Amino acid sequence: MRLKSCIHAVAGLLASTAIVSAQEVSLDLWTIDDPGEYHYVLAEEFMEKHPDIKINVRTVQFEDMVNDLARAVATGTGPDITYIDNPEVALFASRGLLMDLKPYIDKSEIVNVEDIYPGPLASVTYEGGIYGLPRGANTIALYYNADMYREAGLNPDNPPKTWDELYEAAKTLTKPEENVYGIAFSAVATEEGTFQFLPWLQMTGGDYDNVATEGGARALNFWKRLLDERLASPDTLIRGQWDSTGTFNAGSAAMSISGPWELPRMSEEADFEYRAALLPVPEEGATRASALGEGDNVILASTDNPDEAFMFVEFLYEQMPRVWNEFGYLPASDVEVSDPNNAEIYAVFEESMKYARNRGPHPEWPRISQAIQQAIQSTLTGQAEAEAALETAQQKIDGVLGD
Amino acid sequence: MARFIRSVRDARGLDAVLVWLALGYLGVFSAFPLVYNIVISLQTVDLFSLASFERPFVGLQNYRDVLGDPVAGTVLWNTIQFVVLSVVFQLAIGFGLALFFQQDFPGATYLRGLFLAGWIMPALVVGAVWSWILAGDFGVLNYVLRSLGITDRNIFWLSDPNVSLYSVIIANIWLGIPFNMILLSVGLAAIPRDVYEAAELDGAGAWQRFFTITLPLMRAPLGAVISLGIIFTLQQFDLFAALTQGGPSNASNVAQYWSWQLSFQTYQISYGSVVSVLMIVFVVAVAAVYTRSTRHEQSY
Repeated sequence: MRLKSCIHAVAGLLASTAIVSAQEVSLDLWTIDDPGEYHYVLAEEFMEKHPDIKINVRTVQFEDMVNDLARAVATGTGPDITYIDNPEVALFASRGLLMDLKPYIDKSEIVNVEDIYPGPLASVTYEGGIYGLPRGANTIALYYNADMYREAGLNPDNPPKTWDELYEAAKTLTKPEENVYGIAFSAVATEEGTFQFLPWLQMTGGDYDNVATEGGARALNFWKRLLDERLASPDTLIRGQWDSTGTFNAGSAAMSISGPWELPRMSEEADFEYRAALLPVPEEGATRASALGEGDNVILASTDNPDEAFMFVEFLYEQMPRVWNEFGYLPASDVEVSDPNNAEIYAVFEESMKYARNRGPHPEWPRISQAIQQAIQSTLTGQAEAEAALETAQQKIDGVLGD
Repeated sequence: MARFIRSVRDARGLDAVLVWLALGYLGVFSAFPLVYNIVISLQTVDLFSLASFERPFVGLQNYRDVLGDPVAGTVLWNTIQFVVLSVVFQLAIGFGLALFFQQDFPGATYLRGLFLAGWIMPALVVGAVWSWILAGDFGVLNYVLRSLGITDRNIFWLSDPNVSLYSVIIANIWLGIPFNMILLSVGLAAIPRDVYEAAELDGAGAWQRFFTITLPLMRAPLGAVISLGIIFTLQQFDLFAALTQGGPSNASNVAQYWSWQLSFQTYQISYGSVVSVLMIVFVVAVAAVYTRSTRHEQSY
């Protein structure tokens, strides 16, 4: 009798633990954040709201993400949810590795596709499906040193609006004897170079699939002129945006083209009045364009818990009004940001977001991007004429697009 | 079982076990990756087909594509310059320093030890330090050159396509000198003193002693250092990553960096493998020379 009740008790205990473990869902999340940043903070908040869902966050270096993810997927050890940089979504979506969120979004009361800005929406759309939700966005604008503007006799309330005005301003602000360049930007042979150049090309009517245009050559020649006349440092060729803007913060460049991620450091390092303006356009009235950065929260098709995974991704999306003040990204959808930090600069970036265009999408984006980088670099180093360099790039891109 | 234990005890079995262990190790960690790399270079492979063997076989098409790429010529010429200049200067300066520290003067051994500081630093750190030295607008080197009145304009060591490869070579030479110096010092120390004394008594001058005694007796160590130098130079990746990323416009791109770019930046893994297979062929040839040179090690 005692033995029997004992067995019952043990069996009951086992059953109850089985129920508990059946309820507790565990989701693996890969991110490029470090503890204390977006994914870590929000995963904690989500788990507090949903004690039955456990989220295991793992940091992967930004530059390793695609490789690690591809390897993990190939060996069946991929996460349930991950962060992917904008232009890489198509790569994974085209292989059927991401879950199409469309059926979930259609039912969702929180996510409304119409709210998402066209650029970020394009970055998660692939052949009719929606394969992720943007966690935020960033774009680029023209930072300028208002103090230097005044010193040079320029009006800081009237920043350059066209390329010609930009050139004139850069020329006026350049002071070789004081080691001050007029402008800093990045033409480095990495994705960052493409990121910076594409808007210039798009403003003249071109795009990633149509680079060998008159406007493209005009844009490249404009960049070349800035370098040739030493209005920008020759190191522009090998420096990313972060290091280029570092020279702006140090007072060695009067203007800089970069994104909102610079602001925390700028507020510490720059001991002058800095402002931001929209990227200048080729001529008055021309189409605006800007770059689109940041990435998306995606769910892998191999997940065992798609419902819970979507709940989490939906929760992340819901936090969009907080991303500017707390994490430093721009909202990727039309939301009300109350009391934004750096209000004036925020207004410029928010406006710029409307013109931000996605890179691609194309599953072979890195190869397209590399063709563009090579055109930039061979033109700026004087190895090729802009037209010829863009023609070479076009041939390579056509090869990729035709594959 | 008893027979097996006996055979291990009487050492014949043990020999076999040890040989098989070594062969097994080489098979798993050297031969397999080597063969796998060659296989990949003959197939169409991207990120997602890395784990499976069922991939389209394209034969030598990958080789044609890679060698037909306009960048290939630039990369080949850059690699040749990088290896030849690096090895020649590392060897010349390393040998010179080894001979210098062979002289008996106070503190010679300590100073020689200090030279190793460069060698024990990770190449990525070395790269970061050199990138500050060579920076265009605010670099230490430009400051020194301008202060001394040697130039009046900044030289853009890393972003001028005519200069960037040589900047990486300079950093690599600096990095390789200690290794060359130490290996050659060991070789010099092994040459018996009395040979020099006898030569001196017979009236041989310093140059004559160097060319008729030191150089011939240093043949084996020099061969080893040159071969290892070529292999190390072909492995040098971190300096490129830290200094120029092969740029601008591939002006400082070399085979090992290009292979990585193809594999992990544009994900054309088969093309990356092609470059590394071609490099392996070359390194095997160098290694053959190296093994030949070590065979003569006991010749004097």
